[in-house]
Amino acid sequence: MEYEKWALESPMLGMIFVGASFVIFYAIGWYSQQKAKSSTDYWTAGRSIGSITNGLGMASSYMSLATFMGVTALILKLKVPFVYMWIQFTLSIPLITLWYGTPLRRMGAYTPAHFVRERYGLGTSYITVVFMILIMVMYALGQMIGVAKVFEMLFGINYNVALICGGALIVGYVTIGGMYGTSYNAAFQMILMGVAFVIPLGAIMKAMGGTGWYFPPLLYSDMVPGMLEAVPDFFDMKYGFKWYLALIPCFTLGAMGLPHLGMRVYTSANLKSARGAMVWFTFFCGIVFCSTYTMGFSGVFYQATSGAGIAPTDYDKITLILNSVYNPAWVLAFVIAGAIAAGLSTISANLMAIGAMIAQDIIATIKPDLSEKTMKVIGYCAIGGGGAASILIALNPPDFLVVSILWAFGLAGVTVAPLVILGVWWKPANRYGASVACLVSGIVYIVVAPYFFKGIVIGGGLEAAVGMTGSLFCVPLTFFLHTTVSMLTERVPGLMAKIPYEEDKRLVDRIHGWPDYDDERYNSHKSGIVIAVVSALISIYAILPGGWS
Amino acid sequence: MNSAYKKEIRYTLVFSVLLLICGHLGLFFVAFPAFQNKMIFGFPSQYIIPIVFGWIVLMVVVAVQAKLTNDLDDEIEALGGSSESSE
Repeated sequence: MEYEKWALESPMLGMIFVGASFVIFYAIGWYSQQKAKSSTDYWTAGRSIGSITNGLGMASSYMSLATFMGVTALILKLKVPFVYMWIQFTLSIPLITLWYGTPLRRMGAYTPAHFVRERYGLGTSYITVVFMILIMVMYALGQMIGVAKVFEMLFGINYNVALICGGALIVGYVTIGGMYGTSYNAAFQMILMGVAFVIPLGAIMKAMGGTGWYFPPLLYSDMVPGMLEAVPDFFDMKYGFKWYLALIPCFTLGAMGLPHLGMRVYTSANLKSARGAMVWFTFFCGIVFCSTYTMGFSGVFYQATSGAGIAPTDYDKITLILNSVYNPAWVLAFVIAGAIAAGLSTISANLMAIGAMIAQDIIATIKPDLSEKTMKVIGYCAIGGGGAASILIALNPPDFLVVSILWAFGLAGVTVAPLVILGVWWKPANRYGASVACLVSGIVYIVVAPYFFKGIVIGGGLEAAVGMTGSLFCVPLTFFLHTTVSMLTERVPGLMAKIPYEEDKRLVDRIHGWPDYDDERYNSHKSGIVIAVVSALISIYAILPGGWS
Repeated sequence: MNSAYKKEIRYTLVFSVLLLICGHLGLFFVAFPAFQNKMIFGFPSQYIIPIVFGWIVLMVVVAVQAKLTNDLDDEIEALGGSSESSE
């Protein structure tokens, strides 16, 4: 079948909207950073952000460019299973807050790696920091590529020029603003992208004949009979039990391991404010996520019923295509500005995480006596360096925009989340278990991915490409290794004499807020054995054939 | 072992289960296919129930979670622990 490649008809309006939004981002960044009096303020926004602003910021850090672009390609490919893949992402902040956000906030951590350093020592923290920086660079990379593609489309310039110019603009405003600027910008960007996504979607639904256009997230059931007629398999679940189970270790636990999400909890004014932000996050995230499903539904419906074939290379532009078909040019321009804001909010959070880890978790531990002024300069350089690295890697980008980001979720689930969860909730977890588990499982996850060693891959197809097969095996492997190695080494006095085990255990009680130390709290070896056995069984189940479709 | 500690463990486990239920109803529908394709609010059940649970029900669960864990912090604070919860 012949397809006509979609192109933006009038880019001038888009340029004006995007240009104006950048002016606002820079102004917010510049104005906000004046509150930062120290490097701690720079990385945590003075731990002063209120619950609504933080809730908006949390949602905004999560609403990547993929919300506007990458995921529509996945909806066309997966149809309803996409909804299951996406819906569980809303669990991230509530689970982070419940399992480790508030204890780490109480500890005064800058990043999850900061906690790993305090709990498991420098050696383990360096291993996790390397993985976390890799995860954040991959995450930022996907956004950089997306933003560059939008700039390329908008300004009609070469991809490399678009990437370098767009990337430099983004890195500039993040560096200037620090966490204050990033937080207030993220809140503004969430409002911008929410309005730019949901309201034009209502207009699209109205033009398509939908009667529930006034509330796009949920009111489109009158289009369901038409969809069932045009695309009878749209609501089929398609995949097997293992596919849906793998969503938990890959994306739910994966999101819990993403440092830039955890960092949002640490910027809260206090723990109650952090929990209030979690409720607002669920509200804002829900509106945009549900609208994403509606947009995907509308895109599939449009493709099936309009007779206008969409080129497979344009699948990730469905949101823009629908707006160009059903809405005036200025609305499309506004949507493009919203898409750019979505990309920027995520890159900002990624760069802040990279910068904090390089400055606070690596350099500050090697040279702890550096002055405030030097640490601030190092902070600027760390963010700039992380951004430059993302831009350089994006010059030769991977094919499918969204895959590298989703695969990075799995890596976070394998290398970060189990260490932090067990570190907060299980005193017997020690440095040997953490180091072995993080290193071995992280390497195994990379080896069994379809990108590096083609002969050693668990499963195949999309589930292997996005890291679901690898995560179902490797996340339980991390829990298994961490618990068993910790319990075994605990019985070797020579090894235990080399680490401050008692001090590590006291830290656990302290970050939970207890005024005294009680050795019985969080110290059940029976729980460790149960976790080890269940994890081993899940890992074995992951490599058994079948169950995916 | 005091009651606040037991409450902390209980809340964490119970809310983890509730959150996972809200976000992973796909497992239920794939395990029990008989519940699929029942029309609810004009949508197939396997589509609209996970969406409503993943947003509206989740919000309710999270609001209750925030309330109870805040109260628990106050309880620990009253024992003389960290007073950081609302400073």
